Amino acid sequence: MIRLENVTKVYEGGTVAANNVSLEIQKGEFVFLVGASGSGKSTLIRLMLRDEPVTRGTIWVAGKDITTLPKWKIPYLRRSVGTVFQDYKLLPNKTVNENVAFALEVLGRPASAIKPQVEQVLDLVGLADKGERYPRQLSGGEQQRVSVARSFVNRPPIMLCDEPTGNLDPKTSVGIMKLLDRINRTGTTIVMATHDHAIVDAMKRRVVALEDGNVTRDELAAGYERRTEE
Amino acid sequence: MSRFLFLVREALTNLKRNLLVVAGAVLAVFISLSLAFGALVVNEVLRVNTLAWQDGVHVIAFLNDENSAGVSAGAHQALISEVETWEEVETVAYFDKNDAWIEFQRIFEGQDDLLDIDPTILPASIRIELIEIEFHNSVQFRLEQQTPVVREVNTAAEEIEQLQNLSSVLNVLGLGMAIVLGMSAVVLIANTIRLAIYARRDEVAVMKLVGASNWFIRVPFLLEGMIEGLLGAALAVFTVWLGSSRLADATQSFELFRLDVANQFFFQWGLLFLIFGALAGVIGSLLGLSRYLRDAEGVGDDIPGGV
Repeated sequence: MIRLENVTKVYEGGTVAANNVSLEIQKGEFVFLVGASGSGKSTLIRLMLRDEPVTRGTIWVAGKDITTLPKWKIPYLRRSVGTVFQDYKLLPNKTVNENVAFALEVLGRPASAIKPQVEQVLDLVGLADKGERYPRQLSGGEQQRVSVARSFVNRPPIMLCDEPTGNLDPKTSVGIMKLLDRINRTGTTIVMATHDHAIVDAMKRRVVALEDGNVTRDELAAGYERRTEE
Repeated sequence: MSRFLFLVREALTNLKRNLLVVAGAVLAVFISLSLAFGALVVNEVLRVNTLAWQDGVHVIAFLNDENSAGVSAGAHQALISEVETWEEVETVAYFDKNDAWIEFQRIFEGQDDLLDIDPTILPASIRIELIEIEFHNSVQFRLEQQTPVVREVNTAAEEIEQLQNLSSVLNVLGLGMAIVLGMSAVVLIANTIRLAIYARRDEVAVMKLVGASNWFIRVPFLLEGMIEGLLGAALAVFTVWLGSSRLADATQSFELFRLDVANQFFFQWGLLFLIFGALAGVIGSLLGLSRYLRDAEGVGDDIPGGV
């Protein structure tokens, strides 16, 4: 579903955020990208979203080489990739319903199709009764649920999550992770950058650890830290 | 269709949200186009009045009576026959003493003290329409040579020519003003749209995030610019029309100068100004958008302060 081949990203000033990274993520996998701040987790997410160009290497997403994708085709890539960020990225002047519907409206879906889809996804994230509220009237956890709903309403095959629990307390974080787990069980591939030990340890999914832009570990059913020999 | 309605709704919502900035842009278009449209109307007033004053007559030669002052019988007809052969002359009309009296009565209708004259003192005249107004000097000179039959030659041609020149200058001025002020309107709209994009940078970033194409992002801004341009132009056309018709009403009693302009003129030129306003709005929006959306691929980096 996602393949990175010798991907290197060097920022202006010489900072290496990804150093010859090669990675293959299968359809339906749930992968944690872990590492300290500045290790390159978020950069990998941004590269997979073609939010930034690679310096070297190739990235394949859903069978397409996105590093050579013409700029006018980038929106089409993003329609097949849901994204969830730490700061929710909700539109403050739109209600919950409108925020979620926005993702379908930009795709040109008819209003008659949008309404039931929005209701369905808000039901999934547990906010069916808060559709008319504005983001400022919601808690952090609820705002993140709206963000998840918006990224999933289009049923994308892939979801990229950059520290989605970074602003949330542990209890609320568990709720968001349960939600992402549920979405993953529908067959959606999820790649999530995090430095939340507890979540990674509890979920026991594939873990790709990064350090200074290098992949230092890639383990299935793993915890945040490397397994120590018993 | 629903997508277009969504974009129109977005544009209208955004216009409502930035009322002050929008009002500034509309005002700029309004002032620019009012001045340009006003110049056009003044030009039209001049044209209409020039035509009215001419009334087809460029030169009038008043004649001495036949059988007096050395003028023989049949001299008037002989003069007409000669003038008709002149190449500068389009038509010649003869006004005998009776016609002169009828005209005199029409002009001074209601002014009994003026009408209390001996009609026979009014001279006969020939009224000449020239092929080109520029020929008035030579025709005047040739008529003045026709003594003793020609008593006096009057011509409004010089004034008409001056008015025509003024009209040409106004034409150029109006066009120049329309171009310069139109450009300033475009720049002001571009600035407004730039401010609107800046105010909505988060929204633009979210739109990109969920896969909106650049055109989808642009259309509401283009519609905004178009609506601003249209509003400004409509206000300008309406204001100039209102001002002009009120002025025409107030000066209806003026006999020498007519200020009324045909509604057909306002309709045709108003329509053109509306199209120009809309176009200025679209061009301004495109200019304003170009910096932020050109080749943009990131979801926020190209927008200062974007997410």
